[in-house]
Amino acid sequence: MEDIIIREDIQEAVGKIKKADILVGIPSYNNATTIGHVVKAVQAGLAKYFPHKKSVLVNSDGGSTDGTIDVVQRSTVEDFQSILLHHKVEPLYKIATPYLGIPGKGSSFRTIFEIADALNVKACAVVDSDLRSITPEWIELLIKPVIESGFDYVSPLYHRHKYDGTITNSIVYPLGRALYGKQIRQPIGGDFGFSGKIAKFYIKKDVWETDVARYGIDIWMTTTAVANDFKVCQSFLGAKIHDPKDPSADLSAMLYQVVGATFDLMEAYSEVWKAIKGSEKIPTFGFQYAVGLEPVSVNLDRMIDNFKLGIKKLIDIWKLFIPQEIINFLQKMEVVRKAEFNIPDEIWAEIIYSFAVAAHSKVLNKEHLLKSLTPLYLGRVASFVTETWENSAAEVEENIDRLCMCFENKKSLLLNNWV
Amino acid sequence: MNFLQRIIIEPLDKCLENFLQFLPAILTSIFIFILGIFLGLILKFIFSRFLRAIKLDKLSERFGVVEIIQKAGVKEPVSLVISRFIGWITIIIFSILSLQSLNFPVIERILETFLLYLPNVFIAAVILFLGHLLGNFFGRAALIASVNAGIKISGLIGRFVKIAIFLITLTMALEQLGIGRETMVIAFAIIFGGIVLAFAIAFGFGGRDIAKNYIEKKVKGEGDKDDFSHL
Repeated sequence: MEDIIIREDIQEAVGKIKKADILVGIPSYNNATTIGHVVKAVQAGLAKYFPHKKSVLVNSDGGSTDGTIDVVQRSTVEDFQSILLHHKVEPLYKIATPYLGIPGKGSSFRTIFEIADALNVKACAVVDSDLRSITPEWIELLIKPVIESGFDYVSPLYHRHKYDGTITNSIVYPLGRALYGKQIRQPIGGDFGFSGKIAKFYIKKDVWETDVARYGIDIWMTTTAVANDFKVCQSFLGAKIHDPKDPSADLSAMLYQVVGATFDLMEAYSEVWKAIKGSEKIPTFGFQYAVGLEPVSVNLDRMIDNFKLGIKKLIDIWKLFIPQEIINFLQKMEVVRKAEFNIPDEIWAEIIYSFAVAAHSKVLNKEHLLKSLTPLYLGRVASFVTETWENSAAEVEENIDRLCMCFENKKSLLLNNWV
Repeated sequence: MNFLQRIIIEPLDKCLENFLQFLPAILTSIFIFILGIFLGLILKFIFSRFLRAIKLDKLSERFGVVEIIQKAGVKEPVSLVISRFIGWITIIIFSILSLQSLNFPVIERILETFLLYLPNVFIAAVILFLGHLLGNFFGRAALIASVNAGIKISGLIGRFVKIAIFLITLTMALEQLGIGRETMVIAFAIIFGGIVLAFAIAFGFGGRDIAKNYIEKKVKGEGDKDDFSHL
């Protein structure tokens, strides 16, 4: 290892284990209440589906103060018969360590990749530590495509509420699909499977002192896998239910992080995406079934008010890089009634491409540029909610597919303006 | 005759003598001045060509410099502005040298004072320019943040931040120039403090209920946020 980023005691533990077949990583930060369930699900999954493989569980912690690491060490499946397991099982090695480096999920993953590299594992998976819906089958679905079918990267596929994951649905998925030509439905899902080969590839990339170490690791992993021609697939994991996120989490900061990381990758892989036209489905594993999802509340008035306030106050900033006909349309939207409020797919695709070009040509400070997207995004979400209020989950999926087609058809706009 | 000689001819002779003594200095001074003008024009031409060749105007547009100087009322391309500036600086330096070559003690003293003061003018100009940049930057950041927070008076907040930063830098620039040193600082403190106090009182009285509701919501976690995940 060129850069030693794992602590000495962990290097010692790695030295004792020497070699392993499977590694499952769990990044955490103050998740004492939920991580026990995740650890047990992982242990049960490894015991049930990979009983003869030497497996390691790595908890890479961001300095929790609520005893997360203790919970990881204590949590174990005591009664394997309850999961209908009767055969002999290889013992599970556990490594729980605070990671070194810049605070963030990316640094946490870096430690996991380093340990995977040191143990020369064949397959890895990472799962979030706040998951409530994880089952042992998730481990099978994330690891098996790597071990048995030779895939390098397994992206998750979930059933989510139609209004859940709106940044994914309205920006990251359509943009990523149009750019790189692969229909990866949850590119920033957070739970992934990958080969030891790609973990070694990730480690060698010089990004660990950049924003990737803080945030944007999910989109970075997915895009790096696709843009470098690794074999990619997705696995259906069922419903994704996790601890509610901090309600005070700033939406504009979230947009800045995720969209900023996506735009940075566009710079890095411009020669790759410029050559791609259309998109193709990727192999999908797992038996798909309908899932009951909890209803969510949406404050439509607040979103539309925020959009209209943005039109009033930020239009001069947008005029610097958004085409005049889109500006005229947005100004019209400022005065329409709630029932008629609509931002069509074509307009939304053009807006996102205008922001991408503006970020590329450095029209504005990047943070200002991306944070000024918030009111437009809220307007688009409001429009989407109004449009799909009566629709079923399948119909909503069709809507999202139409939006993706729009992004693909308008890609020439991006190519012409990307100078 | 003697009288005429003493009153008119002798002083005139002396004057002519002085003039003849001074003539080379004047000619040198004029020569330096004209040379400065020529050199200024040549440098302006060369720099204008060079800056256009390295596509400075396009780069400035990309980095937002054009936007800043246009806001300051300058419509010409950046390459022209810089080459003009270089030309004028050359002419000014040669004008000073030409005046110095006259060897007049009074002019020398004035020039000395002027030259010693010049760095202050330059620093003050830099401070004002930075103030303008920072004012625009933080003003825009405040505007976007307050729009995203759904604050109706976001325009006012953005302008307030921009003006406050500009006022701070203006005070610093004037202090650098030595204009009413303490008066400026005190005046600034009074004006700035007054504005902040006025806002505090206005918000205190006018927005008492809003503030109460806001704090209650924050403390109890009863925001009107949507409960879906954006990611």
